[in-house]
Amino acid sequence: MMALPKPKKMVWLAALIVAVNGFFPALWILFTSFKTESELMRIPITIWPAAPTYENYVRVFTDQPILTFLFNSFMVALLSTLLCITVSACAAYALVRLRIPAPNLVLSVLLAIAMFPLISLMVPLFQTMRALSLLNTWPALILPYAVLSMPVCTLVLISFFQDIPRDLENAAMIDGCTRLGALWKIVIPLTAPGVFTAGILAFVNAWDEFLLALTLSPRVSSRTLPVGITLYQGEFSFPWPIISAALIVAIVPISILIAVFQDRVVGGLTQGGVKG
Amino acid sequence: MSTAETTLPAVAAAEVRQRPRLSPLERGERRLGILLLAPAFILLAAVVLYPIVQLIITSFQFNQLTQPWMGTPFVGFENYARAFSDTRFWEATWHTFLYILVTVPGAVIVGLGLALLANQPFRIKWPVRLGLLLPWALPLVFSGLIFRWFFEYSQGLVNNTLIALGFAAKPWLTDPTYAFVAICIAIIWKTSSFVALVLLAGLQTIPRSLYEAAEIDGASKWQQFWEITLPMLRPAIVVALIFRTITSIQTFDIPYAMTNGGPGNSTETLAMYIHQTTIDFLDLGYGSALAVLMFIVSVIATAGYLRYTRRDPGQKAH
Repeated sequence: MMALPKPKKMVWLAALIVAVNGFFPALWILFTSFKTESELMRIPITIWPAAPTYENYVRVFTDQPILTFLFNSFMVALLSTLLCITVSACAAYALVRLRIPAPNLVLSVLLAIAMFPLISLMVPLFQTMRALSLLNTWPALILPYAVLSMPVCTLVLISFFQDIPRDLENAAMIDGCTRLGALWKIVIPLTAPGVFTAGILAFVNAWDEFLLALTLSPRVSSRTLPVGITLYQGEFSFPWPIISAALIVAIVPISILIAVFQDRVVGGLTQGGVKG
Repeated sequence: MSTAETTLPAVAAAEVRQRPRLSPLERGERRLGILLLAPAFILLAAVVLYPIVQLIITSFQFNQLTQPWMGTPFVGFENYARAFSDTRFWEATWHTFLYILVTVPGAVIVGLGLALLANQPFRIKWPVRLGLLLPWALPLVFSGLIFRWFFEYSQGLVNNTLIALGFAAKPWLTDPTYAFVAICIAIIWKTSSFVALVLLAGLQTIPRSLYEAAEIDGASKWQQFWEITLPMLRPAIVVALIFRTITSIQTFDIPYAMTNGGPGNSTETLAMYIHQTTIDFLDLGYGSALAVLMFIVSVIATAGYLRYTRRDPGQKAH
């Protein structure tokens, strides 16, 4: 299709449709976040904020502990990502390089277990975390989130490890490096882009998760952003301008992350998605 | 490992008769490999396998946190029997089935459309790529909140647009049928972008020469789509369909944010019913039985998925 010359306007129209479809809901929330409560009551509704106000953003930070939500989300996502990457990298390396019996079977078993539906795990995890007094703590979320991203991270890392020539490691080992030394000094630095891609995917997965966060960490001071914002209640009704401002605060960090690393994210997603 | 095989074959063959092909170095590697796999399997055992065992045990118990004095006596299949005569369970299952039936093909069709639109020679690539990535990166529950705002009765964008075009405002979110439609639209919007990314990667692997040859043979654009694009894209479409089905069995976030299952229980999914039974009613025994039933359905879907994807790379390889 690319070879056929297309009228330029049609190409632009195609780009516009895809971009508007993706950006519009977030843009609408952005406009809403700068409107006053009274402007939102106006019929017909306005598109641009008539009198832009920052008040909603001020109230997001003063009325609700959104900084606490942000901090919880960030730490849980970061720590679960580190755990997930460490565990997945070890497993992926063992499957690609070391003489594991029946590596394909081991990989299938690993994927099948890790893809167990979260909703079914929710009940026993709630029971266990409650018994261990871990409800409303970070570990209660970090451990399941590390498993949540294990399939995609393992698959992405496997495909990156496969591209590293064995001879590089062998040369290092002949020079006196151990296997683990070669993994740490040769393979990991060479596959840094893969490790990073897997890390972003794991981070986004953890940042977005809602059901377990709602179940295992419901106390206000330990809520993550999705739970904190969804359970945000106004005095009388659902306060849309403030909710919108809160959504923007929550969306901006993750949008910047994926905007900066969009090539890697797309690469990792399609690798993990198509293969796994 | 050519170095290992050339340096130590005789010793290994003589010493280890049952495993003649493994040298000591290779056995060391195998040991290291198992050691490196251990953290993954320990984590899976703690977070998945142990909870599964506990889930199954609890599903055969009377276990209500609201009645701790009752203990947790074994009640056999009572919880399962209760599920089969529980109309709310069947309704929630039916709703979940309807969501899958509408949103999975919906997301694949919309995703295919987006992928075809995005597969153009754009000079500036980021607006299109980010336009596909943003819905994917957005938490499901946020998409639900945003669409709830769109479908708000008096101040929402949708009804105001309808009024501006001369139609009547619709009771989105308060009428069972309209609420179902609104939720499906939100789910399709949210999930189609991931499908589009997967299909776009598939589109870009189709050799351009196929289209050039078809062009020479006088095939129309429409024929090219049906005869080249769709057949070549079939594996990616099947993967997207199965992947979407597995995740839609667990539909929770978007209906939770948009209607919380209402009006009544008319938009409640199985996942929402399990969540309410367990966390709000604290009936762990019954909630576990429901989760086991849901798990059985998921296993069947996942098995189909893994079977397909394991076969697929081999086919593509040659």
